Amino acid sequence: MVEGIKKKAGHCWKMFQKQRQLWLLCIPIIIWVVLFAYVPMYGLLIAFVDYIPGMSIFKCNFVGLKYFRDFVLSPVFLQLLRNTLAMSLLGLTFGFAAPILFALCLNELKEGWFKKTVQTTSYLPHFISWVVAGSMIFMLLSNEGIINDILMRLGLTEKAIPFLTEGKYYWVMYTLANIWKGMGWSSIIYLSAMSSMDSELMEAGAVDGMGRLGAVKHVILPTILPTIVVQWIIGIGGILNAGFEQHLVLGNTSTQAYWDVIDTYSYRYGIQLGYYSVGTAVGLMKSIIGVALVWATNWFCRKKLDTAIF
Amino acid sequence: MSRPFYIKQTKSGKAFDAFNLVFMVIILIVVVYPFINVLAISFNDGYDAVRGGIYLWPRVFSLENYKFVLEDSSLLRGFFVSVLRTVIGTVTAVLGNALLGYIVSCRQFAGRKFMRILFLITMYFGGGLIPVYLLMTRLGLVNTLTVYWLPSIFSAYYMLLCASYIQNLPEALFEAARVDGASELRIFSQFVIPLSVPMLACIAIYVGVGHWNSWFDVNLYSKNGTWDNLQIILYRILNQTNAISKMTDSVMIAEKMRGIQPLTVRAAITIIVVTPILMIYPFFQKYFVSGMTLGAVKQ
Repeated sequence: MVEGIKKKAGHCWKMFQKQRQLWLLCIPIIIWVVLFAYVPMYGLLIAFVDYIPGMSIFKCNFVGLKYFRDFVLSPVFLQLLRNTLAMSLLGLTFGFAAPILFALCLNELKEGWFKKTVQTTSYLPHFISWVVAGSMIFMLLSNEGIINDILMRLGLTEKAIPFLTEGKYYWVMYTLANIWKGMGWSSIIYLSAMSSMDSELMEAGAVDGMGRLGAVKHVILPTILPTIVVQWIIGIGGILNAGFEQHLVLGNTSTQAYWDVIDTYSYRYGIQLGYYSVGTAVGLMKSIIGVALVWATNWFCRKKLDTAIF
Repeated sequence: MSRPFYIKQTKSGKAFDAFNLVFMVIILIVVVYPFINVLAISFNDGYDAVRGGIYLWPRVFSLENYKFVLEDSSLLRGFFVSVLRTVIGTVTAVLGNALLGYIVSCRQFAGRKFMRILFLITMYFGGGLIPVYLLMTRLGLVNTLTVYWLPSIFSAYYMLLCASYIQNLPEALFEAARVDGASELRIFSQFVIPLSVPMLACIAIYVGVGHWNSWFDVNLYSKNGTWDNLQIILYRILNQTNAISKMTDSVMIAEKMRGIQPLTVRAAITIIVVTPILMIYPFFQKYFVSGMTLGAVKQ
């Protein structure tokens, strides 16, 4: 018995000796991941205490769910929820449909340089930052920008429309900006799903007199349906993520009532104003709701549509 | 893939094709036009540009904006920080993720599953903005260059990408090198890296573009402005929160002297910031797409 353990331990030691170099390489990596990924997870506990910077979390006053409750009961909560839901619902409808429609239209183009050019160019906005995108959008939409110039020349408006400083235009601008930046890139996943289409099904349909519209309806759409469902589940999970960088770039104080979402609130309170516990609690609550939503949508899709991601 | 030959072309189909072509041309214009507009404004005289109405071509051609940007010391420094950050961040992240990918794909390594799980957990759980910010403050990384690249050396996603690529490399080669007494680091640098250049290039592009474009972490951690990059300078000009920044002061002085306006300076900086991306774009767009689809398969 003892002999056996000794033998096993000896074997382990031998293995360890052999892999010593790899273990040595792992040490800094483990330190890195603990420090930069696991310590912040532990840091989430500050949502439940009255955190004072520099003090250990366990020495701070434990307040339980106070900050969560305060947030939900605060007067600004309903406005934040409205903005968050409004912008993500716009994203989940128009922003979600745009890449699918674009992929379907692109798929109908003849192979060739034109199709390639359109496709390649459509990804371009994905690779620029929101600051650069915002800079361009400001130039187009400002009072002296060309959009207003065109509208005035066509006689559609007398005075320049203040797209950037009036809140009621904000949601539309945000949605269009997101589509401009993300449509081409998001369409890739649908295009690659289309390439796995069953050509036998297409041929069989053609024999039965299926036209092009029929091909889209009966062959192409069913082929990409699982991809659509997966993207939808991911989208629902992110329903409380209604943009962040976008608002910091595109928003200003005169439109704040329309762009202030949960994330920007958390950032403003947590970092700019230094209420670390409040900001963390708000962020944590948002993530928990997001996970619950993904789980619920996934369950629904498995039940009703027979596709799910887990 | 367009219409297969065996599906009949009809009259309405032809009408659709014509409409579709027009639609695609419109999309092309919508995507490209903002770039052209900014380019035109950046080459226009400041006072004239403020009047508006510049479409495709500068009305009063001027190089003053670029001259101003290239002479301004804070902007030059911003450019230098952007380049430095992108180079250091990309090199460290590519090497780091390749090494991690190699470690977790070594079949005879007992700790590979442990390492994999350690990183996979970070894919689904994270501390979020504020705990990370507090940690960086605690570590004294505020106002350093380190804060830009050190926290992003490793990532679970790129680890998976690297591991799946390295697993398909000939294992016998590594084994033979090991038998000959090569150290693991040597195998990594002399076999793994040269053999996985296509995948590393793909990761380098993603990480590099990310570093070049990042501004939010600069906003958080560059408190005294020592490590401001170009993006953040552009952001501050955009938001006009730069009353303190030296930049505006010099714009104001130059405004009186040479007809420089914030609008045209902004346009010039915007062009300088996007040019590197536009330049690598044609060469690397195949990597962009292959990376995206690789990721899709993994999901």
